[in-house]
Amino acid sequence: MNLVGKVALVTGAGTGIGKGIAVELARRGCKIAINYNQSDAGARDTKAQIEELHGESIIIQANISVKTDVERMVKQVFDHYGTIDILVNNAALQLNFDFFDYDGATFDRMMSTNLKGYWQCTQAVVPYMKQKQIGRIINISSVHSKRPTDFDTLYTMTKGGILMMSRESAIELAKYGITVNTIEPGAVDVGKQSARESKPIVSPEDAAKMKQEVNKIFKKFPMGRVGRPADVASLVCYIASDETQFMTGASIRLDGGSMLL
Amino acid sequence: MTIHNKIVFITDADSKSGKAILHQLVSEGAHFILNSPSNGEEIRLDLEQCHAAGSKTVVINIDLCNRSELDATLEQTAQQLGTVNVLVHNNNLVKPASVEYCEEDVFFEILNANTKTAFVCTQSIGKQMIAQQSGRIIYVSSIHAEKPTGSSFAYSASKGAVKLLASEAALFLGRHGITINTIEMGPVEGDNIAFESTFSSLYDSYEYKVPNAILGTYEDLASLVVYLASDESRYLNGAVIRLDGGFLNHYMDHRMKEPAVLEGGTP
Repeated sequence: MNLVGKVALVTGAGTGIGKGIAVELARRGCKIAINYNQSDAGARDTKAQIEELHGESIIIQANISVKTDVERMVKQVFDHYGTIDILVNNAALQLNFDFFDYDGATFDRMMSTNLKGYWQCTQAVVPYMKQKQIGRIINISSVHSKRPTDFDTLYTMTKGGILMMSRESAIELAKYGITVNTIEPGAVDVGKQSARESKPIVSPEDAAKMKQEVNKIFKKFPMGRVGRPADVASLVCYIASDETQFMTGASIRLDGGSMLL
Repeated sequence: MTIHNKIVFITDADSKSGKAILHQLVSEGAHFILNSPSNGEEIRLDLEQCHAAGSKTVVINIDLCNRSELDATLEQTAQQLGTVNVLVHNNNLVKPASVEYCEEDVFFEILNANTKTAFVCTQSIGKQMIAQQSGRIIYVSSIHAEKPTGSSFAYSASKGAVKLLASEAALFLGRHGITINTIEMGPVEGDNIAFESTFSSLYDSYEYKVPNAILGTYEDLASLVVYLASDESRYLNGAVIRLDGGFLNHYMDHRMKEPAVLEGGTP
């Protein structure tokens, strides 16, 4: 699984799953472009972790919902490293608003980041990847691309959109040797690193009840635990490698079997 | 089928699917709020038929992405006709949109037409239905919520998002006696043009990929809408019904049913 010297752009790499992916790719020899939007300190921490591994990285601030930001970011990666081999679309919003609390503007914002953002990053790397006739695009989605959350309708809708966008990208970009695959993580423990902007969806009493219930659910997971960023990172590394040349348009559920319950 | 005197809201009454749904529901005795981008012009004859059959109609022409406009309109129509019992979301904007070259405004045009309107209508009409503790929401979607088109990623993403809207709404609104179901419509005549693609051969000989070699029609769709709107479908909630004659099961071209040979002539 040789990733040494490959250049990977990871969006949302200042926190949570994105950070785990960036560090693991670096551990395996990739040169990393760490994208963040707001988590400045988080991005610096990712870079520091990569440096500890004697890896190479640059930090690029960009809001993936803004096209000019995305174009600037991708150009910066190319200017610095001379190529882009791997794009990991990971940066996404999860606002946890109640169904009736989403207004039109918030709908636009969610769609702009989670769906349009993934597409725009894809669109922006294609010219660079097609020059080399090889590329790996890995979309981090969610088990909620197929199953409802019961607490965040817009998040789920964007993930349903990403599933189809990934399938379309796979057939359209195959002629350039670019593969597009999706990972559907289940619950992942991201500790306190998540920069989630969340509004309490229920009263404090109900929130406590929900937390209790979630913990109960997690205990019932077949493997006895929730996922870790490292679990997702490991699968990203496999998909990013040369061993997956024939795999495209796939969506892989990575949830320790929890969705089977 | 217990649709008599029910108020049905159709989001795109001017379309072929809207007209077919209207006609079948008229014969069931429903009344209508019809969103008509042509302001009723395109459905003039259909409206006359509604009146002749005793169906009351209110024609509106509003932007269904605009929640406050829809809320205000629903208050008015509640006075005129009553509150909505059945929402049929049948917006279906198909436009080419390649991953590589699509522009941002086309992406949003498709997403807003197909997805945002579904979300806003579900919120706004869903509130009315919650007050009644009953209702039926029917999304007319597409097989491309599952199968890529090869011609418009924005279209299939917009329908993929509606699929998950339906599954969330089946929980949120399902607790209030409302059912939410989705029809994933398969090929009708002309879809080979609408989804023309250099990346996918899905629509090559598409009519023969339907095992019985007969394409679906909007009447087939309307008939399923009538069933889903009726009390008979009360236990269907969060279901996705693929209405494609088996099209997506196609695999072997050489096994396709050949066109029937007409008497004394070529197929």
